[in-house]
Formats: sequence, C-alpha cells, structure tokens
Amino acid sequence: MIRIEHVSKDLGEFKLDDATLHIDEGEYFIILGPTGAGKTILIETIAGIYRPDSGEVFLNGADVTNILPKDRQISMVYQDYMLFPHLTVARNIGFGLRQKKVGRSETRAKVDEIADLLGVSHLLRRYPGTLSGGEKQRIAIARAVVTEPAVLLLDEPLSALDSRTTERLRAELARIHKLTGTTTIHVTHSFEEAFALGDRIAVMCGGRIIQVGTPDEVFRRPNSKFIADFVGVENLFRGRSVVHDDISEVRIDGISVVSSTVASGDISVSIRPEDILISKREIETSARNSFSGEITEVKDMGGIVRAVVDVGVPFVVALTKRSYEDMELAPGTPVCIVFKASATHLF
Amino acid sequence: MLNSKFGILIVSIALLLTIFILSLIACILTHTSPHILLTSIASQEIGFAIKLSLLTSAISTLMCIAVSIPASYSLARYNFFGKTLLSTILDLPLALPPLVAGVGLLLLFGTTSFGAWLSDFGLKFVFTPLGIIIAQFAVNISFMLRIMRSTFEGISPRYENVAQTLGCTPMQAFLQTTLPMSKNGLMAGGIITWSKGIGEFGAALMVAGATRMKTETLPISLYLNMSCGDLDLAMAAAVILIIISFVSLYIFERRGGVARLY
Repeated sequence: MIRIEHVSKDLGEFKLDDATLHIDEGEYFIILGPTGAGKTILIETIAGIYRPDSGEVFLNGADVTNILPKDRQISMVYQDYMLFPHLTVARNIGFGLRQKKVGRSETRAKVDEIADLLGVSHLLRRYPGTLSGGEKQRIAIARAVVTEPAVLLLDEPLSALDSRTTERLRAELARIHKLTGTTTIHVTHSFEEAFALGDRIAVMCGGRIIQVGTPDEVFRRPNSKFIADFVGVENLFRGRSVVHDDISEVRIDGISVVSSTVASGDISVSIRPEDILISKREIETSARNSFSGEITEVKDMGGIVRAVVDVGVPFVVALTKRSYEDMELAPGTPVCIVFKASATHLF
Repeated sequence: MLNSKFGILIVSIALLLTIFILSLIACILTHTSPHILLTSIASQEIGFAIKLSLLTSAISTLMCIAVSIPASYSLARYNFFGKTLLSTILDLPLALPPLVAGVGLLLLFGTTSFGAWLSDFGLKFVFTPLGIIIAQFAVNISFMLRIMRSTFEGISPRYENVAQTLGCTPMQAFLQTTLPMSKNGLMAGGIITWSKGIGEFGAALMVAGATRMKTETLPISLYLNMSCGDLDLAMAAAVILIIISFVSLYIFERRGGVARLY
C-alpha cells in the first residue's frame, strides 16, 4: 500500500535518515518516538509536503515521490487541529469536497453524514475559535475523512487534549478505522496510544526507524536499550473486559485478571512488575489475582532481578536480588504470583 | 503611583507632550474659519489636489499590496541563499530620506536608457502624476513588506499543508487559507500605506516637481500656497490632511494594529 524506500530529508532542526517502511492496506500503523525523533517529517513527506532529499515514496505501487499532495489522496490531521479560522465548521469539513468540485447538495449531505458520525452536527454553523479542543479535533478528523482518502495521517492527534477527552477520542479513532477501513498512520509519543490502537508500530529516534513490529513484539521484545527505556512498560496485554459488581474481569489468552478500574469491551491492561508478589507456595492474601506457573527467564539488573513467569501469558516480576536468592529461585522453578485488583491498570 | 515625585514628573512629561501635539492641530484649525475653509475646499485648486492625492495614493497602495504579498510571503516562508542581504536591502527605504529616494528615482527615469525605454512606451515619470505614484510606491513599499512579512510569519504553514492534502495546489492553498487569514494585516498595512502615500512630499517633489494643477497633491498644494502666501488654501489642504490622518489611525487601531511595532 505505502512503501517508503530509503527516504532522507534534512530540515536542519529535524531530519529523516534513510527511512524504509512498508505499510499494508487497511492497517492502523503507529509511529512511536520521543519529541524531535522526526515523526512529523516522516508523515509530512508521505503527504508530499516535503520532497525527500533522496529515496522514494510509493502509493499502491505507483511512485508518488514527485507528485503534489493534492494528487495523492492522503489526508492529514495535526495535533493543533489547523481548522481554518475564517470558515464555519461546515465549510471547514466541506473544504476538500469543494476543491474536488463535488456538487453543492452532495457536499452538504456528506458533511452532514460525517458530522453526525463524529457527533459535531450541532456545531456546523459555528466558527472554530469558540470550540473546545476535543470538538476541534473531531472536526479536523471529519474534514480529513470526508474526502474518503486512501491514507489518513494523524500527527499526535490526542496530545493536546485532556485525559478524559483523549480516552474518548481514542475509542472514536478505533471505531472510525473499523468503519471505514482506511489505512491510517498515527504518530504519537504515548505508548498507551500505540499499544491500544496499533496493528503495527514503528519506533523512531533521531530521524531513524529503529524497530518495526506488532505491539507485542515491540513492547515485549524491544531490539535496543533505547526502546526498552522509552517504552518502559512491561506486562502489557490486550483483552476483553466484562464488568460486574463494579469490578472488571478481563480475559487475556485463557487467563482472567480482575481490576478495580471499571471499563468494558476490548481493552489494554498493564501491571507494574514491582506490584506483583512472587512465592514458591500458594499465599493466602486479599489480592484478587493469583496464578501459578514457572519461571522461564531471569534478568539480573544489579540490585533488582526481573523474572519472567509463564502462567499462560508471560508476566514480568521485579524483586530484590536478596529475596531472589533467599527464596532460591531459578529458571524452571514452579512459583505462584499474586497482585491486587487495584494494581491492574486498564486503558 | 502618583504619590511619588518620580510619578508626578513622568506623568507631567506625557501631559506636556499631549498638549504640544494638540496645540499644533489647534493652531491649524483655528487659523481659518469654517466659512473660509469650506470655500477653499470648494476651490478648483484644492479640488484638484484632493482628487490627485486620492487617485495617486490609491494606485500606489494597490501596487504596494500587489508587490508586497508575493515578496513578503517568499521572505516569510522560504529560505534561500542571500536572503538576509536581500531583506536588509528591502528594508533600506525605511531609513532612506524620501528626498534621496526621489533623487534616485529622478536619475533612474530621467537619465538612464531604461527610463528612455519606458518613456518610449508612454510611461513618463519625470514631472508627471505617474512620478508621484512611483515616488509613493518607492517610499512606502518597505513598510508594507514588513507588515505583511510579520503577518505571514504569524500564520502556521500547516494550514496550507492541510489545504494541499485536501486538494489545493500550493497557490490555491495560499489563496484560500493564509491570504484570507491575513486580512487584518492587509487592512492595517493598506491603511497605513495609503495614509503615508497621501502625505508623501519629498520624493514626489523630486520626481514629479511642484506644478500647480498638474502634479499638485495636497502636501504639494500646502507647500505651494504657503510659499506664495495664500494661507486660506494652505490651511484647507492642511485640515484635509489632518482629517485623513485621524481616520486612518482610527481604522488602523481598530484592525489590531499589526504594524504598531514599526
């Protein structure tokens, strides 16, 4: 679908260094990296805003390296919305349709439909200046998808919003992607967004792409210390949550964990390694989550030991070197792990 | 604030300055009577000066706008070799005395083969109303450039990026986003350029001369009538110039005054 071959671009402050990336049709692709990693240049180059210094960009097999943005069928949404302040919301959303000379009544119908989908119908006559961040971003997304682009580029679309709005809009993005099936490239520095939304993730640093893979691969098997430090999160899982009695029960690959966070549906789960207790015998505690398995891997990090315990899914457990030695643990030892429902973070 | 000697001192200075400016205006306004003023304004000569001033300043303002939009946009958006030097040269007329600019124009159009060539096409600038227009343009273009440049620099290029992905050519994107968004800057710049154009004297005097009923704009009329002692006509020209300044300052302030810095 999209192929980026050895693309380099130097803008002085930011740069892109020999980036190669293949993105499949219909994929929700995440580009993850810290600020200044070159993520925005990468997608602006895909959009055709910049011509690369070297390398090629292919769209559906055709070389589009020297093609104007308008002829690429790629829409873009920025973190700071970039709604045209001199146009009403309706004219903002219909902007792309007017450029493509779509008829008046058809434009209106399409604008109404997409505004309805994104829940901004009541704002159509307003000007962007008076709207909240969440409303602006919904409108920016509506403006981008109403033209039915082949590719949707999202540049940190949730970063400028408060956490509640972020969560709601994240679910919305997943819903729109499911509904339209549009190939989406989403740039972010948030591992939560990456993990929750991405079919695949590319991690960038210093203008280079350093790892590409599924969220599981990137988060569980980071190929460099940079990624391990940057993502910095272990025990990340995806599952399906059902709520009863103000408690969520999440099914993950055959096991079921309990969380005091109330949230249902397809969901991501994380548990900090230091919140998990490990023992050789079954322990009686008030903690709601208790599993038995065996140690498959041990990493000595100095004073701290990180043990991977396979209980059907792999959990990373952190414990002091002292207790690791006192308990006489080793790879292959059958153990029991326990953690509280309140330590189970859902997002 | 006003309870210290220092406070009283500096506020008094501001007050004195205000009185100074008000007395200048008051002297002009009281030097004539409404009746004399109205008859003078109705005179053929002042009528001609008003028309010529409005016409030349309107044309030179339009020229400044037409040239400054692309020129300042290129300085605001693109980086190219020699940009700093270029922008310094473009700022030069801000510091150059208008008389000197006028001499330059006179030499360019009056003595070079380029001037002769233009003259063959009927574009005669020396001692004609066309000369007034080019003089106003030369003196004011730098102001307009600076105002438009800071206006464009204040608008994120990402608006145009978005417009381009939505189906605009780079030019359409500019015309549909950045240009309408710079409306206030354009208005403010246009008004200040127009009002400076109406008041332009030095450069116009050099290129177009001061010929009664031919190149007689309001400032030239003021100068001619003062020189030959016809104070009534001179005051009429001065009063009209004051009114124009007030109106343009008012509109300029209401438009946010992007150019206040300059």
